[in-house]
Amino acid sequence: VQPPEKPLQAEEWNKLREDFQSPEIFEEVMLNRMIRCNSPIDVAKSLLTHLAKHNGDIAYNVLVKYLTLCVQQGRVSEICDVYDIMKVRFKILESGAYNLLIRGLSNSDQWRMALTILEEVKKIMTPSRSCYESCIKAASRHQEMKLAFELYDEMLAKDVVPTLDVLQLLFDFSRGVKGAELQKELFGILLYLRENQIYPHKAFMRSIKLWFESIPGGNWRGHLTNIKDSGQCPVCNHQLEDSNLTEEEYSNLSERIIRDVIHGTDTFRKTSPQEFEAFQTFVENRLPFDIVIDGLNVSHIKSRKMQCQNLFDAVNCLAKENARLLVLGRKHMLMNSSNWKREIMKEMQKKADFFFAENISEDDAFLLYATLRSGKHCKFVTRDFLRDHKACLTDNQTRHLFRKWQRGHQIVLSSSAEGRSIKFLVSFPAAPAFRYDCVIQTTGDTWHIPYKDVFEEKYSYQVPRKWLCFQQK
Amino acid sequence: IQSANMLLRKIVRSSVLPFAAQHGMKKDLFPLSRTLSLSLCLKQDKSCEPSEKLDLDEWKKVMKSGLQEEVSETVSEPTELSSLAAARETLEMWRLAGRAVPENISEEQLKTFMECPSKSAKKKYLRYLHLKELHKRNEKRKMDEKRERRLEAQDQASKTDETKKSSFMCVWSSTMDKAYNWRAAQSMIFGQPLVFDMSYEKEMSVREVTNTVSQIVLSESCNRRSVDPFHIHFCNFKEDSLYHREFIKQYREAWGKLLITVTDQCYTEVFPKDKLIYLTADSPKVMKIFDHDKIYIVGSMVDKSIKTGVSLARAKRLGLETAALPLDKYLLWSTGAKNLTLDQMMHILLTLKDTADWEKALEFVPKRKYCGFVNKPVKELKKTLDLINTLKLGKGREEVGKQFAKSYSKKYKLK
Repeated sequence: VQPPEKPLQAEEWNKLREDFQSPEIFEEVMLNRMIRCNSPIDVAKSLLTHLAKHNGDIAYNVLVKYLTLCVQQGRVSEICDVYDIMKVRFKILESGAYNLLIRGLSNSDQWRMALTILEEVKKIMTPSRSCYESCIKAASRHQEMKLAFELYDEMLAKDVVPTLDVLQLLFDFSRGVKGAELQKELFGILLYLRENQIYPHKAFMRSIKLWFESIPGGNWRGHLTNIKDSGQCPVCNHQLEDSNLTEEEYSNLSERIIRDVIHGTDTFRKTSPQEFEAFQTFVENRLPFDIVIDGLNVSHIKSRKMQCQNLFDAVNCLAKENARLLVLGRKHMLMNSSNWKREIMKEMQKKADFFFAENISEDDAFLLYATLRSGKHCKFVTRDFLRDHKACLTDNQTRHLFRKWQRGHQIVLSSSAEGRSIKFLVSFPAAPAFRYDCVIQTTGDTWHIPYKDVFEEKYSYQVPRKWLCFQQK
Repeated sequence: IQSANMLLRKIVRSSVLPFAAQHGMKKDLFPLSRTLSLSLCLKQDKSCEPSEKLDLDEWKKVMKSGLQEEVSETVSEPTELSSLAAARETLEMWRLAGRAVPENISEEQLKTFMECPSKSAKKKYLRYLHLKELHKRNEKRKMDEKRERRLEAQDQASKTDETKKSSFMCVWSSTMDKAYNWRAAQSMIFGQPLVFDMSYEKEMSVREVTNTVSQIVLSESCNRRSVDPFHIHFCNFKEDSLYHREFIKQYREAWGKLLITVTDQCYTEVFPKDKLIYLTADSPKVMKIFDHDKIYIVGSMVDKSIKTGVSLARAKRLGLETAALPLDKYLLWSTGAKNLTLDQMMHILLTLKDTADWEKALEFVPKRKYCGFVNKPVKELKKTLDLINTLKLGKGREEVGKQFAKSYSKKYKLK
């Protein structure tokens, strides 16, 4: 159906309804179309008038649809009227209507009313993200930064996650505004991004830059740059934070890996207590290793080659410089088969320590354990993303630690297509080793903020290579 | 002309026209071209009369005026709502807003609703209640219709007053029940045991337990009706557990009369260990034949949040032999998890027991999960399947390659 262009009389509405295939949902469909076509508000009003006269009442969902149309066109007085009607008619409203009301009013001179409605919502439920964001936007648009940050803090306290959009807005509207409190809040946002390993996009980065440079008396100077592989900032020569975990983080992570990944709800799911114990004594007697290799994963690097030959090449490649190697595998590798030749396996066992798990055990868990147990210098080799193991960890903090550790310690082997050699792509993913940690960081008089180009596709395991460097003069 | 118009208008007003129209006298009354003159004057009529003009805000008046009395009534009510009442109120508003929400909700359900940890959990729970309500209502409507039809038929039958004579004896369902029970009793003495492992309660949510129990009820009934039933054992069955309460809810008084063995002992205590085989989809071993001397164990678990390896872990802990159905050997699998429902397992096992025919037994695997039986070399079939998928999904070759690469990473961990 096409919504009419002009207000209609009752009879005309009646006729339209009769022509419609399912008259009982006529007004809903009609209003939906009006919202889609952004029809003049008078047309909707005439429909409501017709309904009111006909039924003596207008259903809630129809009112909400009308409200949507009003909000869409920014009719503030209409929104207020609808709100008045709803308030008397219903004890409370549901989140959809509240969202609309707050969104509609926050864009107008009546924005303070949106705040009162927000208070009302809080009595019944946790307000949605969009409710908070509308109010924060309205407050900051009217330079009430204190209020905006109060709302923002309240939002975080209630575990409502803000969008980057609203964070950017807070930076935009704080530009040039004085106040130590305010600065603290904005630095707080940057630390929030650090804690959650969120990277700002290009436009957001610009907002941050402009705000920094606008701090009265701050003398901040920002530069876009690429950090050297060594972790040194070419602009200010500052050395970025080490990618290594602290002692405490490290022991915390290994403990969690043993508890959540290896044991989990039931040790028998991934291994068995006997096997794990055997593995533990095996590792303890031979510590520390330099490189731990996921034998089965590595053996599949070249699909044309025999699996044990692949593994042999990799071990040979890594065995230089007296590195102590540990290869993890499964028992079936010891059976002489077309893919696993006994002689080659014997040859390999001279160069590296081997541990063979049961065929139905998970060798990845052992890989993680052996690497963590060997110490911070130890690296591990696999192409696996280890996502399922990360998912076993129970809290976000530990997951972030895991990712950080993984970035610094995973080696990915790749085979060149035509050549015979196996190349190393040290570290993960396909990038030189990150000796520095890729998060927002500060020393007080410097800030380093990694950012991503919006257009560049970024996977969760990739980290941005571009940085924003601030120093105080 | 003007006077003629006036006259016509008068006629219209005094409602002669509808009268005339009703009695088919239009033509006689207005022999002149009716459409021209009448419509002209009607149009004028509309535009010049101010009372006909649309008052666009009239709906507001209606909405507000109709409320005055109601408002005065509600004022006396306490404005503070208890959390339960508030939840009920919120639900009502959601219903008005057209969301999938049940019309009636019990106190208990409301409490469950409030305990849901997140918004999406709440939504899901309400949707479930809503659908349940719809099903119930439809069921009731159908029953009513059926009853009506039956009454009608009875009426007609009594009119003709004719009783049919049959040479067959009418076998009532109670007689059938007796026969079934006889067989089940016999199986309790001579039959092959089949164990349901009831130790997964901690692994499941309340709804999963409910689903598990209804699946077991289905399996028990199909077992009872079979020619040669299993002797069903419920092992690790704890008194007053969630399972127990669910069973009582579903079976009511029949629970005490079931011809099955229920015990809180583990199967390893009841049977010799070397005879037990734990059936689990995660098992690396594939079942080749159905062994009439073995005792098969089925884990009574519905896992909606795919918990891989839970039952395998249990078997490993006790050092039992495990087996998986040879689904890949006989079926060209397309989608879905390889774990089957308990009643499907029961159908398959019963069929195997009677016929030892895998194809016949695996008919009970849901059709949506596989494309067909393997009758050609698997490689060829895989090719056709890939081709079908490529055509169906309109995916390019690269896309298929990607898909392959995805499953590849899984593959090399298996072997």
